[in-house]
Amino acid sequence: MTDIDPSILLVEDNEVNRDMLVRRLQRAGHHVSTVGDGEAALEAMRQQQPAVVLMDMNLPIKDGWTACQEAQQDPSLSSIPIIALTAHAMEEDKRRALEAGCSDYATKPVDFPDLLAKIAAQLDARC
Amino acid sequence: MRAADAVSQLRPRLSLRGRLYLFSGAILMLFAFNVGTSLWGSFARNESSIAYREAVTAAQLTAELEQNLQNKRQQVLVLATLRETTEEPLDAAALNQAYADLEIIAERLRQLGGFGGEDLEAYYRRLHDSVTALLGEWRQFYERYNETTQTPDIESAVSYNNTQQRLQELDQRQSFVAVQRANAIDATITLTDQITVLGFISSIAITLALVFAMIRSTNASLTRMKRGVERFGSGDLTYRIDEQRDSGEIGDLARTFNDMSTKLQTAIEEMNTARADADSANAAKSMFLANVSHELRTPLNAIIGYSEMLQDELGDGAQIDREQFHHDLATIIFSGKQLLTLINDILDLSKIETGKMQVSREIFSPAGLLVQVCDALSPLLLQNNNRLKLDIDKDSMRDMNSDRGKLQQIVTNLFSNACKFTKDGEITVSAHMSEESLIVSVADTGIGMTQAQQDRVFEAFTQAESNTGVKYGGTGLGLAIVREFCAMLGGRVALESQPDQGSNFRVTLPADPTSVPAGA
Repeated sequence: MTDIDPSILLVEDNEVNRDMLVRRLQRAGHHVSTVGDGEAALEAMRQQQPAVVLMDMNLPIKDGWTACQEAQQDPSLSSIPIIALTAHAMEEDKRRALEAGCSDYATKPVDFPDLLAKIAAQLDARC
Repeated sequence: MRAADAVSQLRPRLSLRGRLYLFSGAILMLFAFNVGTSLWGSFARNESSIAYREAVTAAQLTAELEQNLQNKRQQVLVLATLRETTEEPLDAAALNQAYADLEIIAERLRQLGGFGGEDLEAYYRRLHDSVTALLGEWRQFYERYNETTQTPDIESAVSYNNTQQRLQELDQRQSFVAVQRANAIDATITLTDQITVLGFISSIAITLALVFAMIRSTNASLTRMKRGVERFGSGDLTYRIDEQRDSGEIGDLARTFNDMSTKLQTAIEEMNTARADADSANAAKSMFLANVSHELRTPLNAIIGYSEMLQDELGDGAQIDREQFHHDLATIIFSGKQLLTLINDILDLSKIETGKMQVSREIFSPAGLLVQVCDALSPLLLQNNNRLKLDIDKDSMRDMNSDRGKLQQIVTNLFSNACKFTKDGEITVSAHMSEESLIVSVADTGIGMTQAQQDRVFEAFTQAESNTGVKYGGTGLGLAIVREFCAMLGGRVALESQPDQGSNFRVTLPADPTSVPAGA
């Protein structure tokens, strides 16, 4: 954890889960902004250039897999690491998320220390 | 195709056995024809040669007769000369010998009469007359030979010359007839030989043609059979042999094969359908499992996440925001209840599917139940800012005999669906009773459904769209349970809906399935 609170973009449509994750990430010292769908996620990535994106896969308007693929194809976004965050727990789902261009994968219910370690790993890799 | 059909219609439909009989019959007829021709030829030849032989015999007789006459005349002339010179009478033996000679000549003449037929009749008649006359004169000569001293008249010269003349004519005629008969024999032999050769050659040709036709038609039938077996065997299950093309055994075989093909096709199709059903059932179960896993994890995420967070906050020892703390606990409780509902739904559906779901009937007031359910579920209205309109026709309502718990769950599921898919709208729960039934409808002003969505929305594990669960939550079990419960209670559920125009679920349940009330 650094004090320089690198910014995290949380993409989550479920209000309860969003509220919980935001508060826990903030308590862990991260600066967090949130959006509720895939389309808005791409828009926020362009504007904010977050250090890392936590993205739920089942999103309205544009789902997480599509958003990941589009981010990969966009040169201005392709360097931003995306950690997939989903209640789909099958191996197949994990493979699908990584194929769509996600850097890492976390299953709900979230093992919070593990999630923080994954975020840190992505941030370290970027530095 | 039409022309080929017409040709096959014209083709005589004969069984293999029939073809063999026809074929054998044709060959026997040809054989009989050949034998007949040969018999007729030899008969005709025989007739001709008999006639020829007769002609030859007649010519011989004529020559002998001529010789006899000449000898006799010689004798008569010698006797006449002797009589003049010696005047010695003839003894009885010589006379008898002479008469016998005359008799022999007469006999010869008669024999000659038996030959020759009509052609020679006239010639023979003339010869007969003149020979008879001559013999008469010679007889007189012998009779008078001893009586008188005077030399008896031998004959009139005319008689003998006449006879000679007639003999020559007959002889010539006989030669002519013999030549004619010889020619006729030649012609007959030539003709019968030609007919025999022709018959033989045509028999061979016709037999070959028959054999060829037989082989061809049988081969064609068998080829059709073979092609059918090959096509069917290679997976063309709809292929059938044209059983109209053959009759008899091969036709029977084709029909039997087609029957077998139909049964096999049905069996294979049933098997494929069963396999497809099993596959899709399996796929549905896997899908369901994935959905259930997803849905269980979503509330669990909140429960674990909030609990851990509250634990952390307590551990910090910092000032605790009681209101926030209370709200977080409420979230944990709500998620826990959501989880419980989900598990109950899954268990219910599993019970229904395995036939273990029981109906427990009791007498209760449906109006009271509806009011109770709507009260209990009113917090759901707040989620999407909806209003409730409760429209119960109290005059028609009375107690009913049904499963209270199941009716409660039916209404609960419909109500929570309506709340889930409607935003800033109105949920109308209305109820009335007819003589026999309770009719409850739950209508909303929400997103509604297309016809295709309506068609599958009652299926277990499915929702209007595959990502409906994403947007609105749920596993697609609520309506499946509603439909099953309605069926178990002897009623039904109907749906009217249009996209963006809201949905109206209408449940009809028998008020008392054990007896029809005798008037309200």
